[in-house]
This record gives sequence, C-alpha cells and structure tokens, in this order.
Amino acid sequence: MTASTQLPETASAATRQEVKEPQAIDQEPKAPPTARPDRPKAARRDGKAAPAELRADCIADSAGGLTFDLTAPQGDGTAWNAALVLRLRGGDGVDDEVRLPLGPNGSGRLRAVLPSTVALAEGRWNAYADFGDGRDPRRLLPGVNDLRSLVDRRPLAGIGRLGVRIPYATKFGNLALRSWLRGPHAEAGDILVAPDGLTVSGRLYGAAPAAGARAEARARRTPAGNGASGASDVSGASGAPDASGVSGATKATGLSGADAPPVVTVPLTVEGLDFTFTLPYDALAARWEHGNEPWDLWVRPAEGARPVRIARLLDDVPDKKQVFSYPALPVRAAAGHLRVGPYYTLDNDLAIRVAGPDDAPSESSEQDTRAATGS
Amino acid sequence: MHISFLIHNAYGIGGTIRTTFNLARTLAERHDVEIVSVLRHRDTPVFDLGRRVALRHLVDIRESSPTYEGADPEHTRPAKVFPAAEGRYGQYSELTDRRIAQHLRRIEADVVVGTRPGLNVHIAKQTRRGPVRTGQEHLTLDTHSRPLKLALRSAYPRLDAVTTVTEADARAYRRTLRLPGVRIEAVPNSVPDPGLQPADGSGKWVVAAGRLAPVKRYDVLIRSFAKVVAERPDWRLRIYGGGSEKAALRALIDELGLYNHVFLMGPANPLDPEWAKGSIAAVSSSLESFGMTIVEAMRCGLPVVATDCPHGPGEIVDDGTDGRLVPVGDQDALAGALLTLINDDDARKRMGRAALAASARFDPAMIAGRYEALFSELITRRRGSGLRGTLHRTRGALLSGAYATKDAARAAVRGVRTA
Repeated sequence: MTASTQLPETASAATRQEVKEPQAIDQEPKAPPTARPDRPKAARRDGKAAPAELRADCIADSAGGLTFDLTAPQGDGTAWNAALVLRLRGGDGVDDEVRLPLGPNGSGRLRAVLPSTVALAEGRWNAYADFGDGRDPRRLLPGVNDLRSLVDRRPLAGIGRLGVRIPYATKFGNLALRSWLRGPHAEAGDILVAPDGLTVSGRLYGAAPAAGARAEARARRTPAGNGASGASDVSGASGAPDASGVSGATKATGLSGADAPPVVTVPLTVEGLDFTFTLPYDALAARWEHGNEPWDLWVRPAEGARPVRIARLLDDVPDKKQVFSYPALPVRAAAGHLRVGPYYTLDNDLAIRVAGPDDAPSESSEQDTRAATGS
Repeated sequence: MHISFLIHNAYGIGGTIRTTFNLARTLAERHDVEIVSVLRHRDTPVFDLGRRVALRHLVDIRESSPTYEGADPEHTRPAKVFPAAEGRYGQYSELTDRRIAQHLRRIEADVVVGTRPGLNVHIAKQTRRGPVRTGQEHLTLDTHSRPLKLALRSAYPRLDAVTTVTEADARAYRRTLRLPGVRIEAVPNSVPDPGLQPADGSGKWVVAAGRLAPVKRYDVLIRSFAKVVAERPDWRLRIYGGGSEKAALRALIDELGLYNHVFLMGPANPLDPEWAKGSIAAVSSSLESFGMTIVEAMRCGLPVVATDCPHGPGEIVDDGTDGRLVPVGDQDALAGALLTLINDDDARKRMGRAALAASARFDPAMIAGRYEALFSELITRRRGSGLRGTLHRTRGALLSGAYATKDAARAAVRGVRTA
C-alpha cells in the first residue's frame, strides 16, 4: 500500500478535543422517568395509582420519517394541544425539545408524525406523550417498531444533509430515538479484514469525490494535560478536523508538537459516489505506544475539502457495535505483537483499535466498558 | 364453563407462560378463566393477560413483600407430592405441596389444567371429585428422564386428558405410557396475528431466531450460509437471540469470513417486526418440542426452511408448499433449500403467501376452540355417564396404584426415587 510514514499533523487543542469520541450520553435516570426533574412527583400528585402504561407503535418510512401511533388512555380526549414530545437527553436548550401534534389517526388511536424534514440534533431523544390536560407529559414505552424500510436504506446521494432516526428501547425499557444529522456523510458498507490491512467500501452522501480524495485514520490520542475534558456532546461531523493543514494525496503530515495525534492517509478509489480504500495495519501498528489505541476513520472527498466521518447509519440497528463485529488480527510491530481490528463506536462511527500484547483484543478500553450503558 | 390453569410461575418469562396467557385470554372471551401461579416472585406479570383473566398465587416469594414466604421453614423442606425427578423440584417444598393440595381440594372450576408434569401429578392426585382433570405437556415425553416417566405413569391414569403440542408426542404418550381411558390429544400452541403488514418477500435477508443454544445448531446454519454466500453474496443472514453459544458462533463467523453476511442480532422482543424484515426464515434445530418460531415467522408471511427434526417442524411446515424440510445436521441440504428459495423470487413469494394462510390455523381463536371442544366433551363424558366416569376414576385409581407399586418395586431395585 501507498501509505507513507507520516509525522503528526498540526492540530489545535480544540481539534484534538473534538476528535475525541463522545462519551456515552445514555444517562437516563433509574427511577421511572417522570417529566421534569424539578417536579419529580407530579405524575402522582392526584394520589391515584400509577397510570396504565402507554406504548407507542412506530413505523419508519424509507425517507427517514417516523409515524407514532398510540392508544389514548380512557377519558383523555384529543385535546387540540396534545403532542408527542421528544426531548434530547442531556439537553436543555430551546432546540432540545420537539413537539409533534398528536391527533386522531382514523382508527381510534392517536398519531404523531416526525417528517424527515424536521431536523433533530445528534443524540438520544426520549419520547413522551402530552395529552394537553395540564398534567406532565408521560414517558412512552416502545410498542411494535416496524423499521423494515430502514433495513437496506439507500437515500438519494445528492441529499445535502442526511437525517437518520432509529427508535429503540432504552436499558430501562422506555422509548427513545437515536438521531444523527450529517452532511456530508460517508456511509460504511462491507469491510474486509486481512492480515496486512483493512479494506473499507462505502458511499458518499452530500459530497462528490474529486482529485486528491483520500481516507484518513486519525489517532484519538489524548495528549497529556488535555485529558478527559468531558466533551460529551460532540458529533462526529461537527468534530471534523480543520481542512487546512494537510496537503498531498498520500502524505499528510506536519509537525507541531510531540503530542499532536498522528494521521495516516491512503488514496481513495472512487466509482461514482462509491469508494474503497485499503489501510495498511503496519502504519498504525508502528505508532503504537501503549494500551488500547483507537484511530478514527475519515474521508476527505477532495483536496482541501472538509473531512467527513465514516459511519454506518443507514439501517435499522441503533447500536452497531455488538452486531457489526469484525475480527482483530495479530500484527507484528517493533513494539511487539499487537492486535488490530475495526469496530463501531457508540455513535456508530468507524474506528480501528490497536491493542498491545497484554491488552484484551476487544473488550478492555474505556469506550467498551461504557458500551454497557449505551442502550 | 369455569377453567382454572395451574402454572409454575406466571410472573416469569418463557414459552409456557406466553402460550398459557394467549390461551387463557382467548378462552376468557367466552368463559370464566383463572390462572393460579404456584410461585410469585414479581409484582406484575411480564406478558399481557388482558382484563378478564383472574390471576392469583399460592406462595409469595417476593422478598420485598409483606407476605413474603420464601423463608418459611416449611418452604425449606423438600416436597413430597411434587415429583423429585421433575426439573423444577428444587423450587417446590412442603409448603407448595400443602398450598397446591388445599387449592385443588377446594377448587370451584369445571376444568383444571396443569401446565407442567409436576403440577399435572398434583392435579391427578389431589383434585376434589368433580372437575375435569387435564394435564398439558409443553415439552415432550421423550425428553423426560426415566424416573419422571415412571412418576407420570403412576399418576396420569387419574387424569381425564393429557394434551401434547404435537401429534408425534401424543403418539409417544399413547405408545409408551398406555393410559386407558385417558384422552390423549395433540393441540398445538397458539400464535396471535402479529398485527403487522406481512413481509413482501423482496428483502434479501434470511432470518433465524431462538436461544443461541447447541440444540438450535446455528453452527450448521452459519456453515450452510457460507455456501449460500458463495453463490448469492447479495443475501445476508440475521440470527436473533442470546445464549451460551454466542462466543463460539461469533468465532465461527469470523473464521469463515462471514462477518459482512451473518449477524448475531442479540435478543429482540417483540420478534414479529424482525421477521417482517426478512424474506425467508431458517430453522436448523436438532430438536423442537413444538416450533413456535416457525409459526411466528409464517404468521409474518415468511416461508420457512426447517430441519425435519422431532417433533414440531414436520407438523407445521408443508414441504414444498409453505416452506422446505431438510434432514437434521445436513448443511448442504440446508444451503440447497435456501438457495432454491433465494433463486426463485416467484416461488419464494408464493410460498410466503401460503405460509401466511396456513399459519392462521394456529390463531388463538382456533386453538382455544379446540380446547373448548375438548373440555366440553370431557365434561359431558363425566356428567352424562356418571357410571362410566366413576368406572374410569376407579380404574384410574387402581391402575395408578398398580403402576405405582410396580414402578416403586422396579425403582427400588434400581435405587431411584419416583415421587
């Protein structure tokens, strides 16, 4: 392969922080979720027993829209201001609550629609029903999620910004949505793992590959002194590294500080909007220092273009990590026998892990431990 | 009529609980139905029982409950009525013996239905005169140990009926246990209409679902799928479920380089929307007491490629019409049958429609109707022919005693405990 040995790229502290994989944002409270934290007992203020559970059935369309149907509790009519409420977990801004009108669906139930045109910020959104009766919105439970139209989803390539929402049941059994909002987006397809490296096939959305197109592996190394700074809500797309600072198709390196995270780049083979690249493992292994070292994968569609995070978003699986699993292979490096293999992060971004001889091949990094809370 | 089910623990999760709830809920549309749960470890049941079925328990083992009885000394002494050879014996005690006996002595129902062998033994031995005594077999006779079979043979003559979930198992009961006067009837499990638009057969996905246990032989399915992928790399396989074999199956997928084609999806509940994402269902088991997942897949409009293993698949799948049956453990045959359906879009869609139509016979309304007919006949037999009923009961008791004596003698020689 053509990957040259590169020196660390210039990167600002801000960029380094942004490239860090976001923390698991699944900090749902353990108690049965009532609505607002400032009124935790409001749901039972009338002294009655807990209300019957409310389940919402959800149907996805291939454009990314979602339809929710639920059975109104007896006695609750359809008030004009009844709404299905989505709240971004960990959010508190104006844009972190979306109200979708809840009206009759024609067969005795209530329906709310989330069209693909309504943008939802990336993250996990909890779902509630507000029947417009002055009581606090009630947390919804998942019913039947019919997501068949998401399974092999292939949106129009020219789409500017890609919205993906996948309904799922949280660890505590409530209904939530995972949302991604990316433009441009590089969708990962098949991945082939071989002893000398990894070949990724994918497709670009919202960007056309041109001269100088390449893939980049960026070490997600936290430099000393800039440690766990708690960047907890950074999406892969907005965390794109600076477009300037890089030149040359296969050599992309500058040198600023000894602790700047290294970058390895390889050329992209392009056919229309589909791309493939092969990333040699030895280039990553040569830079291994200690422990489990993750590398994030990006595509730079053209010379000077903003890099695009490679992720797998276009199907019905909310958490790819456990389902789309790939072998880690042994790689001999100067530092010893390493194990290298691709994996999906908690945000379904594609990354590579280089693990040392004494580290468990796949399940020991901090990110992995947190995966347990991620659903 | 008044129907009373006796179940091990209605508050758990499992096939027997789910199918009993389906049946009880449907019967309750026309009858008085109660479910009596020997144990209760949770406040509310996991599955939906509807509003019309009464549910109560006999022994409270909720540690948080003011009426907790798990530490009662009587509950720590081993059961004497519940057979020792039964799989759940460890959870039964003198206390359960006493409470079940009390319940059955006072029972008001016209029909009492046991849902596992140990409880059927209680019903056979302890139900007051009057109610029709029915014992359900949700597994199979063949999979029970010899001591348990002996225990059943000594108690079951006092039942009015034994139901199995397959004809094959009903034949095994008639042949092996020989219970004169006891009606032995196969009534399959019911599966409700999923309430989803059926699969249209256009997706290039094969779907399997079940515990990742050795008996499911997912290793055979994965190996056979390597052959499928060699010819049709555009098709993929999803396996839903969790279990002890997960790591081994993961390693097999990696070893065969199938990680872009075969996916271990983890457990899913409800399963119906996952079936609807597929176009073919695959079952590779070496044993299926019934084959609930086969029916579930068919109710979602999928043709099923299944092994012709004991006992269920051959009674559910009509080979060539709504699916294919292949020999157990034969990965080439399994791959061949999958490829036949993959390569013929028309046949696949036609068989999917046939599966949808054929599986309606497992609708709870149909299955409840069969139980209703059976119960009515048994009640009529009991009431209409008092003499015959008494004769059956007397003969049952005598035979029961005779078997018990003979089996006890045999067991004594072998050194096993029968009850």
